[in-house]
Amino acid sequence: MKKLTIPRRAVLRGVLGGAAVAIGLPLLDVFLDSSGAAHADGSPLPKRFGIFFWGNGVLPPQWNPATTGAGDAWQLSPILLPLERHKQKLSVVSGMQVKTGNTVPHKSGPAGLLSGTTVQQGGDESFGGPTIDQTIAEQLGAPTRFRTVETAASRGTATLSYTGVHASNPAEFSPKGLFDRLFGDGFVEPGAGAKVDPKIALRRSVLDAVGDDVGRLSTRLGMVDRVRLDKHLTGIRQLEQQLQRLEENPPNLAACKAPGAPKDDYPDVDGRQPLAEVSRAMAGILAMSLACDQTRVFSHWFSYPVNNLLYPGASAGHHQLTHDEPGDQPQVAKILGYVMTELAAFLDAFDSVSEGEGTLLDHSVILATSDVSYGRTHSLDDYPIVLAGSCGGKLKTGLHYRSPASENASKVIVSLARAMDVSIASFGNGDAKTSDGLSAIEAG
Amino acid sequence: MRRLLSTLLLAVVAGCASDDGDAPAVEAPKVAPQLAAHTGLARLTAAQYRNSVVDVFGPEVVVPTQLEPDVAQEGLIAIGATSTSISARGVEQYESASYKIAAQVMKSDSLRARAVPCAPTGPTDADCATKLATSLGLSLWRRPLSAEEVASVRDVTLKAAAVLGDFYKGAEYGVARLLQSPSFLFRVALGALEDGVRRYPSYELAARVSYFLWDTTPDSELLGAAANGALTTDAGLREQAERMLASPRARAGLRAFVTQWLGLGDLDQLSKDPKLFTYYSPELGPAAREETLRLFERVAFDEKSDFREVFTTLRTSVNPKLASMYQVPAPTRDGFGEVELPFDGPRAGLLGHISLLAQYAHPVSSSATLRGKFIRTRLLCGDIPPPPVNVNTALPEPSGTTRTLRERVAEHLVDPGCRACHTRMDPLGLGLENFDGIGRYRREDNGAVIDPRGDVDGAAFADARGLGQALRDDPRTTRCVSQYMYRYATGFYEAYEENPTIDAVDYSFRASGHRLDRLMLAIVLSPGFRLSGDPQ
Repeated sequence: MKKLTIPRRAVLRGVLGGAAVAIGLPLLDVFLDSSGAAHADGSPLPKRFGIFFWGNGVLPPQWNPATTGAGDAWQLSPILLPLERHKQKLSVVSGMQVKTGNTVPHKSGPAGLLSGTTVQQGGDESFGGPTIDQTIAEQLGAPTRFRTVETAASRGTATLSYTGVHASNPAEFSPKGLFDRLFGDGFVEPGAGAKVDPKIALRRSVLDAVGDDVGRLSTRLGMVDRVRLDKHLTGIRQLEQQLQRLEENPPNLAACKAPGAPKDDYPDVDGRQPLAEVSRAMAGILAMSLACDQTRVFSHWFSYPVNNLLYPGASAGHHQLTHDEPGDQPQVAKILGYVMTELAAFLDAFDSVSEGEGTLLDHSVILATSDVSYGRTHSLDDYPIVLAGSCGGKLKTGLHYRSPASENASKVIVSLARAMDVSIASFGNGDAKTSDGLSAIEAG
Repeated sequence: MRRLLSTLLLAVVAGCASDDGDAPAVEAPKVAPQLAAHTGLARLTAAQYRNSVVDVFGPEVVVPTQLEPDVAQEGLIAIGATSTSISARGVEQYESASYKIAAQVMKSDSLRARAVPCAPTGPTDADCATKLATSLGLSLWRRPLSAEEVASVRDVTLKAAAVLGDFYKGAEYGVARLLQSPSFLFRVALGALEDGVRRYPSYELAARVSYFLWDTTPDSELLGAAANGALTTDAGLREQAERMLASPRARAGLRAFVTQWLGLGDLDQLSKDPKLFTYYSPELGPAAREETLRLFERVAFDEKSDFREVFTTLRTSVNPKLASMYQVPAPTRDGFGEVELPFDGPRAGLLGHISLLAQYAHPVSSSATLRGKFIRTRLLCGDIPPPPVNVNTALPEPSGTTRTLRERVAEHLVDPGCRACHTRMDPLGLGLENFDGIGRYRREDNGAVIDPRGDVDGAAFADARGLGQALRDDPRTTRCVSQYMYRYATGFYEAYEENPTIDAVDYSFRASGHRLDRLMLAIVLSPGFRLSGDPQ
């Protein structure tokens, strides 16, 4: 049995904080059923959806496994080899095509795959609608503290996670920042009981008043600005909910345990960002935030489209190499190997958290993808897609599925939504529109 | 033909412009149509948030930096500010920041005395809470609050004061409530219909002027001019704008514009391979930006001289790091001082600045395309469409026959799929090939002598300095800075119909002897800035 104690910090808060009182309540085994796979009330462990994204695409002939099928019928390609230990828990899907059209290099691909829309020309090249992570989170309406969490391994807040046009969700790129947000002030260990702090109620009343400001202002605005303020209001309501969660008993999940704090700072090494180190720190915090049911949907932006990051040993920035390196682009291949090593490490963080009879990874599905297929030509054919985790048994794993006829990549997204028990009538605009999933990857 | 004619015309203009600002006789003054720019809410940039908080509460306040990130659109953060919103994460960050600011204000005796306009008798002092709401509301929301709004801020303050048993603890919540409001986080600009014309009412105009000229919230004098109605008159607006341009604070406004226009914000995140560029260090980018901003400050405010000097001047401000890279004696031990670059050296003006040369380059090398694109789009206001898809973009590696970048990118200028766009970029950027990826001078590349010759759409140049001279003499660069500043000030990419407005602004700019402070004034006085469109 997992030993749980009242966190000392929570007690101190109660003593020293004056108004803040935290009441400890140990988690009893009776809260979980005998197998530990579900809460005592019979509700199953939650399912999680995530995106792992890197910029600048792949080298399709070197990326795709040579044979297809399940189990031992196929082997990982050399670039994918770092994922070997996860092979039975992931599927490689190749030969799919993003069918929304290719108008803006590096943006059309993810816009089509993740949101089913085309890029708004000019300006900030916004996606034309919300991305699948946000759609799933919206549909789940999960009672988690955070609706979604966005993280990055390279410095910068930009993501391709959109709640709507011109409304992208900024990423946290500092592990310390992520830790403070998820596990700093406001996090309550399972069994520690609800936080009773009159300041939380005051903060909520402030948000209420601010929400009234939005309402008053909105009536005077045109349509475009009203939509913008609606986004602001959505954020205000979400923060109110976050505060409300703090006043409720935290979810009782056996796997939940606050991780250790990461380093304050991750300085460059030889003029190169320590991508691997940051990504792994992020993965550990993210995995535990899911295990603690702080959120059920996330996206991790390992690197961004058109990034010119310097990788160890590379003679030029990543984007420049994808265009300028001649021949089979061995340096680009090496960078992809680095990214896949970090995808594997990311999955390690999920697979090392025991949950019920399996692991956190088994109750998740992570879509790993990029912004183009072949970086040099900005192609959207044969799009790179790796799916990790069976999403509670809803998806087949250990599979290489190769589309024989450049199928619509939107089908993968439909399958992912279904796996999350989210019903979407169809996904994608124009040629990308479909209401079919990719049956080859769906279980049962 | 039309283009040639206007070039000739402007050549005459340039030759005749006199110091006293008389407009040349050959070109009739251009009159701007009574036409508004787009209208909409502008979210405060991170810098404007910080500047506003510090101006209202005091310079000691440490303003949190974790805020909704600025997003550039059409190349300007000012335009991103009128199209993006606040994300859920941003709401969290603004909330957290508001309490950190409020706590500092109420903790410090001096800051508190400045913020709270009355001595509270206790936690239930409704009168003092009302006064606080009224005075801080005006400063933070840049307009008087309605009775309903005052009551809301007062009630939040009193409720918190009652729960926490202390008026000032309660006031923290009142302050935080003001700071989290869309009325603070967005500059509300809606316009009001008056005599059939839609224009910005006093307070909206005050904020517009202030964030443009000073990059911060209106001061009490400007709010006073808004209160007594002076700002909506021609004379009143001019008087305030002149006062503000004469203040040292106008430098912050110009700096914010130049930073966005030239894309200097990214210099904080330069990525350069330190093995190849041994002179590179992380503080190089910010120092290089400072050099460029100081040049613009000098030309615009210290000397009020012809803006085009920025392309040719040999005088610049450097710190010891930059001095060593320019191979001139450091003027000071630390900090910045002015130096004169060698009159026969390779470097003069903006295009010799490390800021641009390092920003528009690769982590391991220079880039004729990135530099050329910068010159074409930011200095000449030309268009470059995105590259086509499904083309092979590989450059040949340096070899015995293709050693320099000019030789390696030659294919760009021959291949029919490439040349349409690359002829508009690469030949300009190749003029700067004597400067490597961090802006150090070099004579050779891969052992071959660099040939920096080229032309700006027909105007030949011999090297980087010649390129600077050609851009100085090109009327498009003047029009381009007018255009970018107009976009920046209005927060929108102009509609086609606004071109005559920009022409008129540009005329005033040229007629003033190309003085940037006069350009700023011309934009403030322009109908596009003062009239309002329908709420979008």
